[in-house]
Amino acid sequence: MQKSLDIRILIFLLELVSSIISFIVGYYALKAYRTTATRGLLLLYLGFIVLGIGTLLRFTTAAYVGLIVRTIPPTTEHQLAGLIRLAASIYMITQLVAYGLFTITYILQAINTSRTSPTVAQAATIPAATAGPFVQLFFIPQLELIAITLLGFITIYTFTNWLIKKETAAALVTLGFGLMLLSHFFFLLMINSEAFLFLGQISQLAGFLCLLTMLAKVSKTNA
Amino acid sequence: MRREHKEYRSKTRIYCDILNSLLKHGGKSGPTRLLSGANLSYDRLMKHLNQLIELGLVQEEKENSEAIYKLTDKGRNFILEFTKVEKFAEAFGINI
Repeated sequence: MQKSLDIRILIFLLELVSSIISFIVGYYALKAYRTTATRGLLLLYLGFIVLGIGTLLRFTTAAYVGLIVRTIPPTTEHQLAGLIRLAASIYMITQLVAYGLFTITYILQAINTSRTSPTVAQAATIPAATAGPFVQLFFIPQLELIAITLLGFITIYTFTNWLIKKETAAALVTLGFGLMLLSHFFFLLMINSEAFLFLGQISQLAGFLCLLTMLAKVSKTNA
Repeated sequence: MRREHKEYRSKTRIYCDILNSLLKHGGKSGPTRLLSGANLSYDRLMKHLNQLIELGLVQEEKENSEAIYKLTDKGRNFILEFTKVEKFAEAFGINI
């Protein structure tokens, strides 16, 4: 079972990569904002930084829990469960704030264009022998649903943008947000099976990699 | 009845249009040739050119007692940077 737990921690390592990419995209958005003073880019910067912080927090907590779960006595397991729930709540809230900022960006964009404590149903303790539900504690189904709604809106907007512009960079952004949306569907399905964790993390990472590819493509642009 | 859509240009976009117009004329031009490229009135063009000089993106020179505006290296870098930023913003569906 310990081996199975290690695999789960490795899966969470993918989140560290996603977090780094999020910070890189956020940094580029800040650079773009400093050049143009466009409000939408500022919101995009804040969104990606908040998203990066949230993802980093979940990775850090998962790594900490993964390390500590082997040594703690069974009497303190409920405290660990509390820590995971707190980290999961903070993570989901930061993620929703980030998606909210992206949504505001696109709502403002659309307006401009037209002018011119969540609960976790799972077990409250972590059986040290199996460590099964610990991963599921990181995901809050109700908040995943909100994330899906917000990301759904963002994906539709970026897809429309791609339909108009027909550019590779715009397609990569659509694909990036689309894969993030898919990852939240997988995280939601973790209610039924923990196996969806891997699929969720992979699609989330793939989404961030699409954004990184877009950034690399844009950086190579010549005047 | 046809409705005309007037597109709003940000200050940065206007700067970039002026600099691009200069680049198209070999990096050096008098104000008259820049008017159509920048799509500005003479007064507004001169106002923006003065700001570009202050920012070090354009340099003013005199040729036969006529003012000539020259694109600086900083100005060329600005065009390149702006193009990248524009592509980035466009990819996210944000208009600059």
